[in-house]
Amino acid sequence: MLFMEQLIGFFGSKEMDAFIAQWGLLLNGAFVSLQIFVLTLLFSLPLGLFVALGRMSAKKWLSKPLEIYILIMRGTPLLLQIMFIYFAPYYIFGKSYYGRFAAVIIAFSINYAAYFAEIYRGGIESIPHGQYEAASVLGFTKFQAFTRIILPQVIKRIIPAVGNEVITLVKDTALANIIGVSELFRVTKNETNRTATVTAFFYAGIIYLALNWIVTKILNSLEKKFGYYK
Amino acid sequence: MQIIEVEGLCKSYGENTILSDFSFKVNEGEVIAVIGPSGSGKSTVLRCLSLLEKIDKGKITVGGKVMVKTSKDGKAEYAPEKELKKIKLRLGMVFQNFNLFPHFTALRNITEAPVHVLGIPYKEAEDTAMELLNKIGLSEKVNSYPCQLSGGESQRVAIARALAMNPDILLFDEPTSALDPELTGEVLKVMRNLAAENMTMVVVTHEMGFARDVADRVIFMEKGKIIEEGSSENIFTNPANERTRAFIRGFYGQE
Ligand SMILES: Nc1ncnc2c1ncn2[C@@H]1O[C@H](COP(=O)(O)OP(=O)(O)OP(=O)(O)O)[C@@H](O)[C@H]1O
Ligand SMILES: [Mg+2]
Repeated sequence: MLFMEQLIGFFGSKEMDAFIAQWGLLLNGAFVSLQIFVLTLLFSLPLGLFVALGRMSAKKWLSKPLEIYILIMRGTPLLLQIMFIYFAPYYIFGKSYYGRFAAVIIAFSINYAAYFAEIYRGGIESIPHGQYEAASVLGFTKFQAFTRIILPQVIKRIIPAVGNEVITLVKDTALANIIGVSELFRVTKNETNRTATVTAFFYAGIIYLALNWIVTKILNSLEKKFGYYK
Repeated sequence: MQIIEVEGLCKSYGENTILSDFSFKVNEGEVIAVIGPSGSGKSTVLRCLSLLEKIDKGKITVGGKVMVKTSKDGKAEYAPEKELKKIKLRLGMVFQNFNLFPHFTALRNITEAPVHVLGIPYKEAEDTAMELLNKIGLSEKVNSYPCQLSGGESQRVAIARALAMNPDILLFDEPTSALDPELTGEVLKVMRNLAAENMTMVVVTHEMGFARDVADRVIFMEKGKIIEEGSSENIFTNPANERTRAFIRGFYGQE
């Protein structure tokens, strides 16, 4: 029972204090990551819908710029976008108008909105034209037809694709460390340097995995919720 | 009384003229069958009536109200938006592939528009829907989703959905063409019952039996024009036009 003895010896020891302190730091970082994650979704999910609608508009002055926006957002590294948004005001106007955290939220939101926009667009275009026609003949306004008939069907269809992005986002929050936001990855790196061991990396991996386990559970239950019809 | 009056309707897609100088009338309580070869413009006529397509020229009157007329510069001029919506609601439409809303139950498919378009209280809309479902023999399917209904059941729900808006006239675009042969009967039966209740109907169909037995008037069209029009008896037993004769013979030859 060597193990038990070790375990008992661990309680109240210096090692345990260090262990708790490290987990405290990591969980603090994880909380910042979680904030980035939640705020990004909060802004990018609705923004993406408007981008998708504008992108599908027959008005060229609206759809063309949005097409280019999507191209840039998806065609360049998010890392670059974060740095650009954080540093550009400083180099252009000589001062910055927002902090590191806000820059990260802006960059993540407009980046993910572009991805979501394309998913929404695919979903909207996959709805048979007959649905619009039936709605029109029944006298629904365009707005009613979209919100009552089209959108609920779109949401069901895009849950898997949106889920993919959401899971990627959990991991992408690590990119915020590039401009010095103390999220989980940055904290982990610091801890690794300080302790000269890789245990912090291992713990961080567990935390990211746990977050995505929860996200996956939520996505599954959403999928189930919309599974009542085909 | 005339419910629909179409005069000199012209409709083209780009260079492609589909309907040219198309005119016809529908009287109250009348059942009209529209027959003709594929691509002759039958669906286009119904789609112009239900405002799914805009016409280029001509005049359409629904229930005495002008929906669209040719303006002085020779272009179609539609009634103002609000008026147009009122006129549109006089018409119900049933599609070939049902177009039921898959995320709603049969009941909600029927109640959604009365509640949210007409502003009828939900309870009242629900009562009407239950009555309609009962009438089409689908009371036990109230809470079924379209994916749980057969084609024939779906189409009957689609008819109930249109009826729930209490239209003056029902337009049918090949309501049985997407159905397995053994399922067409139940849909045609519902339509026969409606005809017996003096519902005004325009039915684009390949069901010659239905056209012959139920329609008061049959319109045979080809290449966007009415070739012949008359009582179903005349059209089926004694067509005046050679092409009508050939078309009908073609049908019975197949059977
Ligand atoms: N949106 C469109 N754009 C271009 N051409 C169209 C469009 N819709 C229909 N057409 C053309 O118009 C013509 C008439 O079509 P319509 O659907 O009215 O024929 P139909 O008599 O209903 O034929 P069917 O019996 O096959 O249903 C066809 O030649 C068709 O190709
Ligand atoms: Mg057709």
